[in-house]
Amino acid sequence: MVEFLSTYSETWGMTPASVIASVFGAFAATFAVLICWPKLVKDFGAAGGILSAAFLIGTFWLLNHKLPGFGINPDQIKDASGHVQQFGLVNQAFRGSCPWVDMGSAIFCGFWVHCLMGAKRGTRRVLVMESLPRIFWALLGGVIGGVLTGLVGFSGAKLFN
Amino acid sequence: MKEGKWKRRLTTLIGGAIVGALSFGVWPEMWKTYGIMGGFLTATFVIGISWYMNHWLGVIDNPEGTLWVDQGLPIFGAGVAWGIVRFWPLDPAADGLAYCLGALAKIWPTLVCCVVGGALAGVAAHFAKKVVPAWRDDEKK
Repeated sequence: MVEFLSTYSETWGMTPASVIASVFGAFAATFAVLICWPKLVKDFGAAGGILSAAFLIGTFWLLNHKLPGFGINPDQIKDASGHVQQFGLVNQAFRGSCPWVDMGSAIFCGFWVHCLMGAKRGTRRVLVMESLPRIFWALLGGVIGGVLTGLVGFSGAKLFN
Repeated sequence: MKEGKWKRRLTTLIGGAIVGALSFGVWPEMWKTYGIMGGFLTATFVIGISWYMNHWLGVIDNPEGTLWVDQGLPIFGAGVAWGIVRFWPLDPAADGLAYCLGALAKIWPTLVCCVVGGALAGVAAHFAKKVVPAWRDDEKK
């Protein structure tokens, strides 16, 4: 059991244990956001949304995405194997040598599926078609923002050396 | 055609670009400087203000009674695009298209995990809202 769960797969870029952890991490973050965020906004207005951003996204960022290696205690405390292990639940595949997959994808999917479940039968096809252009433009905006932010790596400004 | 349709699409694009740029310009630097507390603070500032802009004020187009497009989607797109572009200079000889496609081919396992987990949570929350007291009483009103 332990051997199967911790066997690294070159095809997936992760171990079965990481798959389970990633699915659960995505589930937990999305479920909490779906249940809590709208209620907090209803109770406290805009301040509730900022509170949700701090408590929900802040806490689930730590659960899902924190990587060891930086900060106040950068080495962490070594675990029994003598190494520092990743403890973020959403595994970044291929030992991190691939673009970042954010839990935002899970939260978006959760909201979309949730609204689709809540819609009346017969209207769902229209709703899906209506949302596609908005999805396209939002995603394109994100890609543009990411590309422009990533361009700093091309600037050649090497500081501190 | 609805009036101002392209303007709404433009604001959706701009809102997505800003939240993506903020997340991946600020988050890694804060994390690398202040560790866990930096990430927590970034969530408060970046997601807080971009939620206010995109969803409370409505820069990302979400008309009443439609499927909600969350700002998580542009954040995901920005994470992938940023990851590809930011570390490209480490391998300057890389062929452009092949490099991008190779990078995209690597992310699908994690993406599938996230999509499956998120969709499951969407379904679970649908049923949870029928039985959880605060939500159930809300539906009755």
